[in-house]
Amino acid sequence: MSIEEYIDKADIEARKRALRVFRERFREILEQIKRGENPTIMLPKRTLANTIYDEKRKLLLLGPEKLSRSFFDLHESKKFMQTLLMARIIYEALERNEYPTIRDLYYRGKHTIVYREPGGRKHEENTWDEQRESDSVIRDIEVFTGLLREEMLILSKEKGKVVGNMRIRSGGDVIDLSKMGHGAYAIEPTPDLIEFVDVDAEYVLVVEKDAVFQQLHRIGFWRKHKAILITSAGQPDRATRRFVRRLNEELGLPVYILTDADPYGWYIYSVFKIGSITLSYESERLATPNARFIGVSMTDIFGYKRKKPYLTEQERRNYIIKAKDADIKRAYELRNYKWFQTKKWKIEIDIFLERKAKLEIEALTSKGLRFLADKYLPEKIETGDWIE
Amino acid sequence: MSKVQEPLREKYRSMTPSQFFYEHRELAGFGSPSRALYQTIRELVENALDATDVYGIMPRIVIVVEKLEERQDFYRITVEDNGIGINPKYVPQAFGQVLFSSKYKLRQARGRFGLGAKMAILYGQIKTGKPVEVYTSPIGFTKIYYYKLKIDIERNKPIILSYAEHDNKTLWHGTRISVVIEGDWSRARSRVYEYIKRTAIATPYADIVFIDPEGNMITYWHSIEKLPRPPKEVKPHPHGVDIEQLKRLIRDVKAKTLIEFLVSAFQGVGKRSAEAFLKWAGLDPGLDPHRLNDSLLGELARKLREYPKFRPPSAESLSPFGPEIIEAGLRAILHPEFVVAVSRRPKAYEGHPFIIEVGIAYGGEIPLSNEPILLRYANKIPLLYDEKSDVAWKVIDPRSFNWKDYMVVFPAPVAVLTHIASTKVPYKGVGKESVADVPEIEHELRNALREAARKLRLYLLQKKREEEAKRRVITFVKYTPEVAKGLATILGDIDEKTVQEMLLSAMKRRLRLDDEEFAKLVQGLEISIEE
Repeated sequence: MSIEEYIDKADIEARKRALRVFRERFREILEQIKRGENPTIMLPKRTLANTIYDEKRKLLLLGPEKLSRSFFDLHESKKFMQTLLMARIIYEALERNEYPTIRDLYYRGKHTIVYREPGGRKHEENTWDEQRESDSVIRDIEVFTGLLREEMLILSKEKGKVVGNMRIRSGGDVIDLSKMGHGAYAIEPTPDLIEFVDVDAEYVLVVEKDAVFQQLHRIGFWRKHKAILITSAGQPDRATRRFVRRLNEELGLPVYILTDADPYGWYIYSVFKIGSITLSYESERLATPNARFIGVSMTDIFGYKRKKPYLTEQERRNYIIKAKDADIKRAYELRNYKWFQTKKWKIEIDIFLERKAKLEIEALTSKGLRFLADKYLPEKIETGDWIE
Repeated sequence: MSKVQEPLREKYRSMTPSQFFYEHRELAGFGSPSRALYQTIRELVENALDATDVYGIMPRIVIVVEKLEERQDFYRITVEDNGIGINPKYVPQAFGQVLFSSKYKLRQARGRFGLGAKMAILYGQIKTGKPVEVYTSPIGFTKIYYYKLKIDIERNKPIILSYAEHDNKTLWHGTRISVVIEGDWSRARSRVYEYIKRTAIATPYADIVFIDPEGNMITYWHSIEKLPRPPKEVKPHPHGVDIEQLKRLIRDVKAKTLIEFLVSAFQGVGKRSAEAFLKWAGLDPGLDPHRLNDSLLGELARKLREYPKFRPPSAESLSPFGPEIIEAGLRAILHPEFVVAVSRRPKAYEGHPFIIEVGIAYGGEIPLSNEPILLRYANKIPLLYDEKSDVAWKVIDPRSFNWKDYMVVFPAPVAVLTHIASTKVPYKGVGKESVADVPEIEHELRNALREAARKLRLYLLQKKREEEAKRRVITFVKYTPEVAKGLATILGDIDEKTVQEMLLSAMKRRLRLDDEEFAKLVQGLEISIEE
């Protein structure tokens, strides 16, 4: 039996499609060269200025500005070469049934061009020096081909985990996410190749912190409250975001996000909900516009008008951390983003800037894991105490 | 005349010119042993050049400085030229009598009325007691004449110590003169070398050999065959005369009336213009010039200077280098990558014609410097001292001249040669090492510099364009293998080499380069990829 027979059919189909798209897109470049033109790759600009917040769909999208990257342009020539180099490496990996990571691609493409100028001076130049450069080229190829890296079978180190009462099919195996013991299912880098078999849950809870995820898992939170429990372990990667989006879109499950009470936690929530600036071209597939910020909110800590705080004066004194200059600066930045300019977010940010105080989720588990699992979360979901 | 000056006049009358010049030797550049060594070489070399190129002879000059065994600070300086030689009749006066000169005429010359070489002889004789030795043979003479001379300082007369005649079988012509002076080679060395180098820059048509007291020999062989246009003797211009000159002219010109005198004594003055002038000046054309008293002479001199309608002074008496010689000289000695020189049209100040020339040398072996290297010349003589007080420095100083407009950004490898050719160079002070800021000269220098700098700018612009084109091509060519490999691998139905060729031809089209230009730009370019 050849090795191909062990490979999932879904992978093989994905590869065929990606190879075809590559040939089509790069055929256009060859045609330009044949006609004696300046070979040019047209790309949407991936800059903050060209990132548009679509208020209707509540998504961060790429704007209409295009960038033309021409080989015979002194300042674009190297990037053009890098794009062709990266495209070739990805193409070869697709042909050879490989699953490179972005780091693999960085190393495969990193080599030295040695040239001796007329006159004898010898120069050495690397195709790229840092992974930041090759990562950026990968993103260019994604927008140029219209293929996401998952569709090109490129893996990235994924850290998202999930448990819950559901079964999925991945690579031909059916996996029961309720039978993971003390561990959890690591969300695979290509979540689009996962098939949902069946599910028995009422909502999805995404926890920023891995430690809090494990605590909630150990005490059987998801079983008791009929939840799919997920952690992004910090900034969410693409696979976790795509997986959450599919749960919401295909299974109709509401999504609640639990992060630290500080500007970084808020931004993690907004990445899940509307997308990120650097990857805005993928928002349409990765973002979950219906995601809700369950907490921890500033009003949970300090109360607001008729709402009573969850923490006592004494607990606040113990758990609150003084905000750093960087936190304050980030809060001001967020306040400028259109998608944070809703009434409830304004109240959150204003309280933060007034009190200059932040709080980690762990503070709530210190108050009592049971308090978090059986009082705070269920009560907030029941009373609709979240921010859209 | 004031009372204070009376004793000075008395003293002057009681001295011979020889005594007078010796008393004031520092004015002539013989103030210290090191300065005297430099000055002696300079005076003899300039006489040698004046005996050659002015007469259409390509100069071959040998300069030897030797240390005498008897005294550590005695040096023998010998300069030999292949010039017109000196008629043996005049040799004793020419070298043994101050104020005897063949150059006491109105035309541009290097030497200053024959004083310089005699100062060297006088200085040497007084300090060392040694005579001057001269070998000479004028063109066509079948003998070489030898003299050993001293100057009788009290009476300003030559004393012939020895005389000889030798057969001149090779028909050699020229002069070889040796003087012994008290000098200081270690202090003079760098100035002497600099002086010879700058002389070589100004005379690329000359062969110059220099042997120093340590036995080092340096040679500058001629790089062009062309000689500068020799100057012609001209009559003075009426704008440039003073009372003393008027008196001398009246004495020399045999004219009985004022109008006759004007027509025959001055350049550019005909009968009609002389009449018009005299009418304007209110002077009687029939006056006998010999009978004019001092106050009338003063009046005439003033009117001559002020009359606006005389023709501008003739430049025929001037001998500029010409752009070709300046460019050849700068190229041969400084080895720059680019040279340009301009000769301006003749202009005049106060009745003295002058021509300004400027040369610029850029790049190559010229070192980077925060300000331009300035090479000043006046009547083809290099000026080495007091550079910063010279009008030429004032004009090229980066604080007053905007070099950036001409694409020169300091530190830059740039040298500027300036030349003032004039029947009267307006030196600043008695040292004759720097030129005064005469507005007409300053203006012409600035115009000449601009004219030359504009050509430098064109060159630098062209060079920059070429470098950019080269940089572009190298960039594209070095990335071509990767791009071709990428396309060939992805498309599968075309090989790398074909894509490379297609890319190169698209590149040439894009850069509007033909095959030949392209080949020139990438000549020697090697590319390899280390995977």
